[in-house]
Amino acid sequence: MDGTDTMSQQTTLTHGMGDKLFEGMNRTKLDIAREDICVEVKDLNLYYGQDHALKNVTMQIARHRVTAFIGPSGCGKSTLLRCFNRMNDLIDICRINGEIMLDGSNIYDRGVDVAELRRRVGMVFQKPNPFPKSIYENIAYGLRLQGVKDRKVLDEVVERALKRAALWDEVKDRLNENAFGLSGGQQQRLVIARAIAIEPEVLLLDEPASALDPISTAKIEELIYELKDQYTIAIVTHNMQQAARVSDYTAYMYMGELIEFDDTLSIFTNPARKATEDYITGRYG
Amino acid sequence: MEKTRLGGHYLEKYDEELEAIRNRVLSMGGLVEEQISHAITALGSGDVGLAEEVVQNDMKVNGFEVGIDEQCSQVLARHQPAASDLRFVIAVIKTITDLERIGDQAERVARMALQLARKDRPKNQYADVVSLGERVLAMVHGALDAFARMDVEAAVQVARSDVAVDNDYESIMRQSITFMMEDPRTISRAMDVIWAIRALERIGDHARNMCEYVVYLVKGKDVRHISLDQLEEAALGKKPG
Amino acid sequence: MKEWWKSGSPWVWLNGGAVTVSMIMVFGLLLLILVRGFGHFWPHEVVQTYYEVPGTDRVEVVGELRRSETLTGQSMREAGAPIPEDQMVVTRHLFKLGNRDVTGRDFTYFIDDFLGEWRYPRDMTVLERREWGDFYGQPLRLLEAGRTVAEGADLWAEFRARLARSNRLYDEIRQIERGDIGNINFRMERVRLDQRRAELRGTLTPELERQFAERRAALDAEYAVLQERLDTLIEEARRDSIVMRAAGGQEVTIRLDRIVKAWQPNDMSVFAKVRFYIGDFFDFIFGYPREANTEGGIFPAIFGTVTMVLVMSIIVTPFGVLAAIYLREYARQGPLLRTIRISVYNLAGVPSIVFGVFGLGFFVYVMGGAIDRTFYPEALPAPTFGTPGLFWASLTLALLTLPVVIVSTEEGLARIPSTIRQGSLALGATKGETLWKVVVPLATPAMMTGLILAIARAAGEVAPLMLVGVVKLAPTLPIDGNFPFVHLERKIMHLGFHIYDVGFQSPHAEAAEALVYATALILVLLIVMLNLTAITIRNHLREKYRSESD
Repeated sequence: MDGTDTMSQQTTLTHGMGDKLFEGMNRTKLDIAREDICVEVKDLNLYYGQDHALKNVTMQIARHRVTAFIGPSGCGKSTLLRCFNRMNDLIDICRINGEIMLDGSNIYDRGVDVAELRRRVGMVFQKPNPFPKSIYENIAYGLRLQGVKDRKVLDEVVERALKRAALWDEVKDRLNENAFGLSGGQQQRLVIARAIAIEPEVLLLDEPASALDPISTAKIEELIYELKDQYTIAIVTHNMQQAARVSDYTAYMYMGELIEFDDTLSIFTNPARKATEDYITGRYG
Repeated sequence: MEKTRLGGHYLEKYDEELEAIRNRVLSMGGLVEEQISHAITALGSGDVGLAEEVVQNDMKVNGFEVGIDEQCSQVLARHQPAASDLRFVIAVIKTITDLERIGDQAERVARMALQLARKDRPKNQYADVVSLGERVLAMVHGALDAFARMDVEAAVQVARSDVAVDNDYESIMRQSITFMMEDPRTISRAMDVIWAIRALERIGDHARNMCEYVVYLVKGKDVRHISLDQLEEAALGKKPG
Repeated sequence: MKEWWKSGSPWVWLNGGAVTVSMIMVFGLLLLILVRGFGHFWPHEVVQTYYEVPGTDRVEVVGELRRSETLTGQSMREAGAPIPEDQMVVTRHLFKLGNRDVTGRDFTYFIDDFLGEWRYPRDMTVLERREWGDFYGQPLRLLEAGRTVAEGADLWAEFRARLARSNRLYDEIRQIERGDIGNINFRMERVRLDQRRAELRGTLTPELERQFAERRAALDAEYAVLQERLDTLIEEARRDSIVMRAAGGQEVTIRLDRIVKAWQPNDMSVFAKVRFYIGDFFDFIFGYPREANTEGGIFPAIFGTVTMVLVMSIIVTPFGVLAAIYLREYARQGPLLRTIRISVYNLAGVPSIVFGVFGLGFFVYVMGGAIDRTFYPEALPAPTFGTPGLFWASLTLALLTLPVVIVSTEEGLARIPSTIRQGSLALGATKGETLWKVVVPLATPAMMTGLILAIARAAGEVAPLMLVGVVKLAPTLPIDGNFPFVHLERKIMHLGFHIYDVGFQSPHAEAAEALVYATALILVLLIVMLNLTAITIRNHLREKYRSESD
C-alpha cells in the first residue's frame, strides 16, 4: 500500500472550490508534483478535417504510474493516446495544435525524429499484432531496426524482455517458431515484450485486453502492475473495472473533452462531476 | 442534491434492484419505528401484550437485515457498482446493521416494560422516559426520512438532535439515582428504568450513525468519529455559525 | 410441392446443377484430349487383307484400322460406290496404309462389303522412318553393303541389333552436327562480329586482323577434323539396309539410317505394347520434330513454352509488384490515381492480338532496333534484337499479364491488417522499413496468386506470340552451352502455336489429328504443372505467414 501513501502526498484535493472550477474548462483538480510529471499535455486540440476530435486537453501523466483513460466510444481517448507517440501523423487529414511535453521538450516541435520518439514511447494495440516472424525475431525487430546485429546482445534482450513480460517460461523452448502459433493472450504479452525490448520510457496500451479471455486479461493486468515500477504507463480501456484495478489515475473523456482527471479511487467512489458519475455507474446523462 | 439518484441506469434491472433494496430498507425502518413506538407505549401504559408483541417482532427485524444483506451482496456480485451506487450499497449495509441494533434496543425496552408492568408504577407513569422515547423515535424517523430523500441537511439536523437526547438521558439518569438514594425500595424499578433509557440513548446513537451514512452516500465523505461541527462543515460545506 | 418450393431445395438443386454441368464440361474436355492424345502412341495391330470392288482388280491392303463409320447406302451410291440398290447401310473403314512414298496416299477408306478376310501376320512390321512417314510390310532380307547377311528366322533379331547400332551412329552424327559444329559456327560468327566491331570502331590494326585470321584458321582446322569424322560416321551408318515386301508384293529396300524404330505389333504381348507405348511417349516429349512437325517429338516446343513463361514471370513479377506497392502504399489517393488504376485494370480486357501488334511495332522494331544500333552495330544489317524473339515474346506477355499481378498484389496489400503496420511503426520503424520487413512478406501469397493467374494466361496465349517471336520451327533452343547460355534474341517454338501449326498448316491432316490432341494434352499438363509449382510455393508462404485474419 506504499503506492497509495505517496499518491495522497502528491495529490492535493481541493474539493471546496466546487463545480465552479469545471465550468467550460478542461482543467482538473489534480496536482502532480513537478518532478513526477513524465508527459504533460497543454491545450491540445486535434482536428480530423472539420471534426474537432480533441478539445483543449490539458493534463499530466505521472512517471512510473498507470494512467487510465476511460470514456464512451469515439470520445477521443484512443486519439489522445496516439498523440503521445505521434501515430496520428499517419492520418493525412489530421491537424494538431497545442503541446505535449515529454521530459520537458515538446514532441510536436519541428525537427523531432518521429522514429526516435516512438522508440521512447512504445505502444501496444487492441488486437495482438505479432509480425509474421518467429517469436525471437518479433522481439528482436525493434533492435534490428536500430542496427543491433550482435547475436549475444539480441539473445540477452530477447530473454530479458520475455521474462519481463512473464512469457519466457511458456515460449523458451520454441523461440524460433512462428509467433502466430501462440494463443491470443500469449501474443499480446509477446507484443508487450516486443515493445519493452527497446526500453521505452512510456508504454501506451490501447485496450490491450479487450480481445482476451478473463485469465489472459488477468495476466496482462498483473503484467501492468509489474511494469509500473520501470515504465510510465497510459492505458485506454472500455472496461471500467479494469481501469479501477490497474490504474493510479483515471481520466474520463467525453466528446473530445477531458471531463475529469483524478486519482482512481476518487473517480470510482466519488467522482466530482455528474457526467463522470453517470458514465461509470452506467446511467444515461 | 440531484446527482445522487438510484434510477437512470441503462440496465433497468439494476434500477429495479436498487429501488427494491431502498424500499426494503424503508420497510425495515418502518417496522423498527413501530417497534420503538410500541415499546415506549407499552412502557408508559404497562401494556404487557404490546410489549410481548414487540419482543416477538424483533425476529422480523432480524429477518429484514439478513434479506437486505443478501440483496446487497447480489448487487455487488452482479453489477460491481461504482461511485454513488457503490456508496449506496455500502450505506445500506451499514444502515441495516444499525437498524437491526435499534431493533434489539427496542426489544430491550419492551422487556423492561414487561418487568416494570409487574411493579408499582410511579405517579408520572414514566412520562419522562416516554418523552425521551418519543424524541428518539423522531430521530430514527428523521434519519430514515433523510435516507429516503437523500437529504444531507435533514441528516445533519437529526444528528444535531442527538445532543438533546443525550441531555435527556443524563437528566433521567440523575433523577433515577436520586430516587434510589431517597428510597431504596425503588432501586429495582429504577434499575429497569436506567436499562430502558440506556437502550433509548443507544437508539439515538444508531440514528446518528444512520445520518452519517446519508452524508457518506450523498457527499462521498466519511464523517464518522468527528465532532458535530466538523460533520456539519463536511456535509454542508460551510462553517457553523 | 409448394412445401418443397418453399424449403429452398430448388435453389440448392439449381446451384448444384450448375456445378455439375461445369464439372462435366471440364472433365469431358480433359477426357477427350486424354483419350485422343494418348491413343496416338499405342502400337495398333496391322491388318493384311484384300479389297475387291466389283469390276476392278483385287488389291492387297496392309495397314492400321483408324476408325469405322456407318453411312446410308444412298449417300455412298451418290458418291459413286457400286452398292446394291436395296442395301440401306454401309460400313466403311479408314485405314492408315503408310508407305507414302510408294502409294502416294497415307489414309484411305475401304467399304466393308468389298474387303476380304482380315489377317494379322506375325511378321508384319512397322518401320518409323525419318522421312516419308511409316512403312508397313514384311521383312525379306537384311543387306550389308548390298550383300545378304540374314534371312528367315534370325532376320528380326539381327535387324534389331543393327538398327540399334545405326541409331547410335545417327545420334553421334546429330551430336556432332548440332553440338560441335554448331559450337564452331557460333564461335566463327563471334570472330566475324568481333572483327566487324573493331572495323566499325576503327581500331582494326593489322596485328588484330592477324589475330582474327589465326582464330579463324584454328576454328577451320577444328572443323576439318570434325567434318572428317562426320563423313566416316555417315559412311558407317549407310552400311546396312533391309529389303521389305510392301502391300501388293513390291520389294522395297530401305537403309537402316533412315529408320527411327521398328516394331511388329501383331507379335507383341500387352506388356510389350505397354513398354513400347511408354517409350514412344517419352520420344514424343523429348524428341525433336520431323517432317514439318507432323512426326517426331515436341521437345523444342515444350522447352520454348517453359522458357518463355519463366522469362515472363521474371519480368512481370518485379514490375507488377513494384507498381502495386507504389499504387497502394505511396501514391496519393485521388482522381489521377483512380484513372491510372482503371487504365491498368482495363489493360486486362484488351484483346491479346492487340498486344501482339504493339509488341511487334514497339518492342521489336522500335526498342529492338535501338538496341541493335547501340549494342550490336557489327551484326547489322542482320538484326539481333530487332526481330521477333524470346525476349520480346516474354515482354509482350508480361505486359499482357501485368494487370493481373498488379490487381492481386494490391488486393493482398489491402488485406494486411493496419494494426500490423502500426505495430511496426510504433517500434520506431520508418514507412519503408515497415513495408519491406513486414508488409511485403505478408503479401507474398497474394503476389504468387497473381503470378499463377499470369502463368495460366501466358502459357495459353498463341495469337500475340506469332507476331513477336514464336515460329513454326526454331533451329536452336533458347538455352544452350554457348555463352551467355540464355539467348533472349532467339526465336522459339511454343506448344500453342505448335498445335495450330500441326492442326491447320500440316500437309497430312489425318496424321496430324492425333498429334494435335497429344500436344494439347502436353500443354494442359504443362500449365497444370507450372500452376501446381506456384500453388505449392504459395501455400508454403501462406503457412509461413498464417495469421488469424486469414
